[in-house]
Amino acid sequence: MTDVKSENTNHKAGWSRRDVLKATSAGAAAGVTPMFFTQNAWAEEALGNYPVKGSEVVLGFNVPQTGAYADEGADELRAYKLAVKHLNNGGGMLDTLKPSKLTGNGILGKKVTYVTGDTQTNADASRTSARRMIERDKVIMVTGGSSSGIAIAQQYLCNELGIIFMCGLTHSNDTTGKDKQRYGFRHFFNAHMTGKALSPVLSKEYGKDRRAFHLTADYSWGHTQQESMQEFTEKEGWSTAGNIMTPLKTTDFSQYLSQVLNSDADVLILNHYGANMVNSLTNAVNFGMRDMQKNGKNLEIVVPLYSRLMAKGAGSANIDGVLGTSGWNWALQDEGSKVFVKTFTDEYGFPPSQAAHTCYVQTLLYANACEMAGTFYPPEVIKALEDFQFTGAGNGETLYRGSDHQCIKNILVMQGKSPSARSSEFDYLQIVDEVDAKTVDYDPAIFGGELGPYVPA
Amino acid sequence: MDMTLNAFTLSILTGLQLGSIYVLIALGLTLIFGTLGVVNFAHGALYLIAIYLAVSINNALGFGLALILVPPILFIIGVLLERGLIQRFYDRPHTDQILVTFGLAIVIQELLKWAFGANNIPFSIPSWGNGIIFMHDYLPFLEGFVVYPKWRMILVVVAIVTVSAVFALLHLTRFGLVIRAGMRDAEMLQFLGVNINRRFMVVFGLGAMIAGIAGVFGGPVTQVSPEVGMQLLVPSFLIVVIGGMGSLGGAVLASILIGMAQSFTAPYIYINTIIIYLITVIILLVRPRGLLGAKGVFE
Repeated sequence: MTDVKSENTNHKAGWSRRDVLKATSAGAAAGVTPMFFTQNAWAEEALGNYPVKGSEVVLGFNVPQTGAYADEGADELRAYKLAVKHLNNGGGMLDTLKPSKLTGNGILGKKVTYVTGDTQTNADASRTSARRMIERDKVIMVTGGSSSGIAIAQQYLCNELGIIFMCGLTHSNDTTGKDKQRYGFRHFFNAHMTGKALSPVLSKEYGKDRRAFHLTADYSWGHTQQESMQEFTEKEGWSTAGNIMTPLKTTDFSQYLSQVLNSDADVLILNHYGANMVNSLTNAVNFGMRDMQKNGKNLEIVVPLYSRLMAKGAGSANIDGVLGTSGWNWALQDEGSKVFVKTFTDEYGFPPSQAAHTCYVQTLLYANACEMAGTFYPPEVIKALEDFQFTGAGNGETLYRGSDHQCIKNILVMQGKSPSARSSEFDYLQIVDEVDAKTVDYDPAIFGGELGPYVPA
Repeated sequence: MDMTLNAFTLSILTGLQLGSIYVLIALGLTLIFGTLGVVNFAHGALYLIAIYLAVSINNALGFGLALILVPPILFIIGVLLERGLIQRFYDRPHTDQILVTFGLAIVIQELLKWAFGANNIPFSIPSWGNGIIFMHDYLPFLEGFVVYPKWRMILVVVAIVTVSAVFALLHLTRFGLVIRAGMRDAEMLQFLGVNINRRFMVVFGLGAMIAGIAGVFGGPVTQVSPEVGMQLLVPSFLIVVIGGMGSLGGAVLASILIGMAQSFTAPYIYINTIIIYLITVIILLVRPRGLLGAKGVFE
């Protein structure tokens, strides 16, 4: 009886051991359910401009609209607008990027809009512009820039404010080296990779017994480019005759070229970019350096970082045969490049530059990372980007390396085309070699720096 | 870097060539300032107009027409600028003059950028000016391989001819006499019944025309981009100050001095970037009126 009574008593209370076990299981399942259906949905506090309110999400495109790099900035802006169009309506690299969670329906269901700023290729102006976009326009991400000094300045600011910064055109080792930041990501390649890819081609083309003289733009990018070129050309057996730092705004390089003429160098390496490179190369050609012999060999000119806009500025007669590297070129025939070139050309009437390419891809990669994370919460988006491996964006198999936020991908060795070899007004450079990602990969520890925490202090 | 005879010669040639560009810009600047008393910050923009005109005409019609057309066009632009804008600021404070001419320079720069883009436009040197000169042919004491671009030597010659022509105009003609008198005391000249305003208009046009000559020959050297005007303006102004405000001889001397200083300090970036300011400070400390500045004039 006692047993029966006891059983009845338990029944009246409504809980059997089996019920308790069931309830515990159900409770546990219910407790865990949001984690299954809202990916990475853990402690998401307000950070930067997160959470995103309303039905739209705003991106900030901070590019040089005035100043020396205004043409590159204009092309970057075209690419950003195209990326927004594709994110909202589909098309472009949304069809080739793999893996991708992009649907052509905005980002996480929110329509993508944008604001623009002018960096003026000036660190202070770029910071002011980025801060305005973040504080007034409530952008969730900032991207852009056509100079390493500017990119690094914005990267620090964005990191401090909890806003992800997707670098535009920046090639200094410092951007993802000693100045790397948790909130900064670079798709473009860097000076170290240029040195690694270009030097073997130079030694094959010009021989191992060469003596190089460097003229170097006196700022972050120039310094790292010169160091990398010297390091890798010397590994190929070359020696270095000298290096002169030239002020960034130099237009007449005759005073520096005189020093080169007076040296025993038989290769001139111009660590200059943009208008700076156009001026130094044109000056060097005027000094007869393309037709000169030194040490019984033809004096050769090398431009480590090439762009189509620079080649156009220098003129095809001056760049004919000159070797350098590029991150991307519109003549590439992979699916991602082809679809990007087609949609860009359909939209604007001419093919995109490498600056446009990297900015377009950066916007898509950010959007895709938000979709993968299932949130705009920056630390989760950062985690989605870190060590993300993808293809279909124009540079083969690419890794967004988690340890320094540098994309490891194929890069191009380019050579200037002669005027007669050009097929169109945009055809200035030919691809000599596509150097694969493994070859240009390196240990990120060599440049030091710390990414810092996911949630800024 | 050891300074051999070859290196020394190359540095001298480079100094002369750098000085030639400066003198062609500073000459117009000091002429306008010395005569009209106007601090013309738009002078760099006049040079900018000249190089864009020159490269456009050169690419379309050839260098010969650029040489014939650009200086007179710049003269006309200068006259229109003086009549339309600058003359209204003769009696205004220097700060007003600086603000209006600086504003004008920015407008011109941005308009050219809008029309031609921010990137460089290649300015090809005519075939007769292309190539290099083997210096050993002219300077037998040099040993071995010393060359210099022919076009830069032509630029030096053009600067010498232009400077000589301006000096001849000012010192050998009645027009020059009136202008020099106007530089000393414009008010007295007006009391004597001389229509100095019309001559001032011509002087402004002349200053712009020299910028036109500088543009035609200097364009392939300084390159054609919207930033060039402003970049040359600051050193050119300092040259006017170092040489002595309004002194043409002083401008020539200071241009050569700055050109040489920049050339010889080229391997040393930190001195090279400040050398022009360093020289300005030293000269103004030692001789506040500038190298050849007349006592009492703009002192």
